[in-house]
Amino acid sequence: MENSPMDKYAAGFGMSLAVTSVLNAIILVIKEKNDAVMSAMKAALGHHWTTHGVIVIIVFVVLGFVFSAMRLETKFDSHRMLKYIIWGVIICGVITAGFFMSNLKLAGAMKY
Amino acid sequence: MFVQGVMMVHVALGVIGIMFAVALFVDVLNVNEGNIERIKKLSLAVAVLIVLAYIIGGYWYVVYYGHDRDIIKAGQWPWAHNYFMEVKEHLFFVMLLLGIYLPIAVYRNAPLMEKEKRCLVLGICALIVVLGFFMEGAGGIIGKGVTMGLMGR
Repeated sequence: MENSPMDKYAAGFGMSLAVTSVLNAIILVIKEKNDAVMSAMKAALGHHWTTHGVIVIIVFVVLGFVFSAMRLETKFDSHRMLKYIIWGVIICGVITAGFFMSNLKLAGAMKY
Repeated sequence: MFVQGVMMVHVALGVIGIMFAVALFVDVLNVNEGNIERIKKLSLAVAVLIVLAYIIGGYWYVVYYGHDRDIIKAGQWPWAHNYFMEVKEHLFFVMLLLGIYLPIAVYRNAPLMEKEKRCLVLGICALIVVLGFFMEGAGGIIGKGVTMGLMGR
């Protein structure tokens, strides 16, 4: 049986999920490396993490509607969309886990 | 007590969310006319649980975590905060987005009888479960970090 095309919102928000995941990691690196950005994010909503979360959610929703309007479902099938999402999550995970790797001093645990 | 209660609700919502994602995964593997409605309800439940875990956990993190953080950083396991909390708090955003996207994939990307569409939902569920396990494990390490900090005093 031939697969029917994706729904435009499933395709649009799927692509938004992949892109926003990577963007989440990029925002993390920028705010941790740049004191001015970190201070601005703290000042905006009282805590950098709150601001970070609001930015991520807004970007996800906006990009979701933008990508939906671009009719990505005519270019991608569900299988390809899943690949993009998985890669987006992996890239975000690797950047996030890698960025803080220098903080992981397991030698400290040996004292115990 | 209120602070501990808030934390426990956050953890419980996360655990139930993971369990529902596993249940959804199994239901989608065995999709048929009889369980479509349950699949839809489960996808919504996972989304609601993860969003609530985010809001309640976020409230606890922003309002109360500072005290625990100071204890952890002064203790023998400073990396419990410096690594695990830092990674956890930022990866949680991805889990939140996956949770919000899940019902979109289930409701809008029908019919799930098609293998490719089923794989999309299965993949999202699997990512939620894997990230969820990391969240729970990291949360345990952070809690132990506080204990280690208090033991050293």
